[in-house]
Amino acid sequence: MLLIIKRLWQVNWAEQWQYRANLLMYLLYWLVSPIIYLAVWTSIANVKGDVNGFTANDFTTYYMVLLIADQFTSNIVIHTFGYKIQDGSLSNELVRPIHPLLTNGLVNNIAFKALTIMGLLPIWIILFFLYKPDFSGVSLSGIALAIPAMILAFFTGYLLSAAITSLAFWTTRVYSIHEFYYALILLFSGQFVPLTLMPKIVQDIAQYLPFQLLIYYPVQLILGKLSSTQIMQGYVMSFIWLGISWLFFQWVWRNGVKRYSAVGA
Amino acid sequence: MQTFKLLSAFFKVNVQMALAYRADTIVNILLNLMWLGWELLSLNIIFSNTETLGGWGIGELIALLGVFRLVNTMMIALIWPNTEKFNQSIRDGSMDYTILQPVNSMFLVTFSRITVWRIWDLILAIVLIVVGVNMSGEATTALHILTFILLALSGTIIIYSLWIVLIALTFWFTKFDNNVTILQALMDAGRYPATVYPVWLRVIVTFVIPIAVATTIPLQALRGELVIGQVLMYVGISFVSFWLASKVWKSGLKRYSGASS
Repeated sequence: MLLIIKRLWQVNWAEQWQYRANLLMYLLYWLVSPIIYLAVWTSIANVKGDVNGFTANDFTTYYMVLLIADQFTSNIVIHTFGYKIQDGSLSNELVRPIHPLLTNGLVNNIAFKALTIMGLLPIWIILFFLYKPDFSGVSLSGIALAIPAMILAFFTGYLLSAAITSLAFWTTRVYSIHEFYYALILLFSGQFVPLTLMPKIVQDIAQYLPFQLLIYYPVQLILGKLSSTQIMQGYVMSFIWLGISWLFFQWVWRNGVKRYSAVGA
Repeated sequence: MQTFKLLSAFFKVNVQMALAYRADTIVNILLNLMWLGWELLSLNIIFSNTETLGGWGIGELIALLGVFRLVNTMMIALIWPNTEKFNQSIRDGSMDYTILQPVNSMFLVTFSRITVWRIWDLILAIVLIVVGVNMSGEATTALHILTFILLALSGTIIIYSLWIVLIALTFWFTKFDNNVTILQALMDAGRYPATVYPVWLRVIVTFVIPIAVATTIPLQALRGELVIGQVLMYVGISFVSFWLASKVWKSGLKRYSGASS
């Protein structure tokens, strides 16, 4: 198994490396909206002194850390896998003795992550010198706590996206469902604005959903803004949602593959 | 006249294509409404924390959202689908057939795909602009409206020209699938007034990828913030950029040698 993963890594790494120019473009695409939100909110905070207790520096640090956390926890499985069900090229992968999504797809995503994070680093350093944020709230223990949280969140997010992608077994075209899913992330993850500035009802719902684990929770962990009970709660939620998304994915996948009739066969 | 006939033919073909995927069309309209809800919600969140954003009130931001949606509709209804078709035609050589037609190839490449249902998005955008302007409670004169339309048009032409240049680059670098991602990526910067951005970002969205020229600036004209010299300058730039783009397109076409030969 280890050897298989090693080979898969080599193949996928080489594949992603081949598209490094594309990758840089994706990265750019990804960067723009946090930077815009950062600009919008810091400009408001600068005028008013603070927004509900958030100073301009709080916003800057929030979005700067968000850039990293988002890179760690997000995935591109809909783009790398959705079309395979649609055009039938999944057949080749199904005859192999390894799970298409849990091995090849996963390794492919991680290779993509590794490369984008490499690309993000220099950009992040430039942004750091542009904004000169004050990161005094960040502690080593916060980062140490955030890393396992982000790994859990990545797997939860990956399984959920993989399950949604697998809905293509029923609907063939799955991009609309994914767009809806993406809107949920936008609303409940804290990507637009720190969740505490969202309407009360959104905050209350977000607490129980997995989306805040992708962004808001790790960012606040790194920034050292959470009490130990909140940290505990976050971890408990992380494990619960990892379990739920695992079961959900398994169920969708198992039933989906049965329905699969290979387009073109 | 011939142009008009061709356009209506393209339109008909695309209506037929859209009708083949009716469910998809309905889902897309619903998603579009969902995004509108999200956009209004995000403005609401911003303005529940402040009265002005870079000197603009919520009415102005709604109008700006309308202008943004106008430009964005052009992108989604024309530019992205045609880019996709264009990139493929370079890869597989079907560009040959486009060039063989006795019509301007730039015109064909621009209009052969139209996402028809997006027309309703244009109506929505105009509603947003009208509502937003009314909410802002400013006295708008006919002259302001006229310069607004003029600048929205010239801004659109500038972005269109940039698009032509970007896809024409594919003639030089065949494997350049991401030719328009940079345009797509920076689109979102059009949602907010460029005046709130830090200088470096303002420079990018005004001069490099001039999204703001098609969004912030027409709205500034509507608010009567621009002098006649500025208006003439933007209109002049749009003519120059269109001319430059067609030059680049023509010299790019000369480099095209088919996919198999």
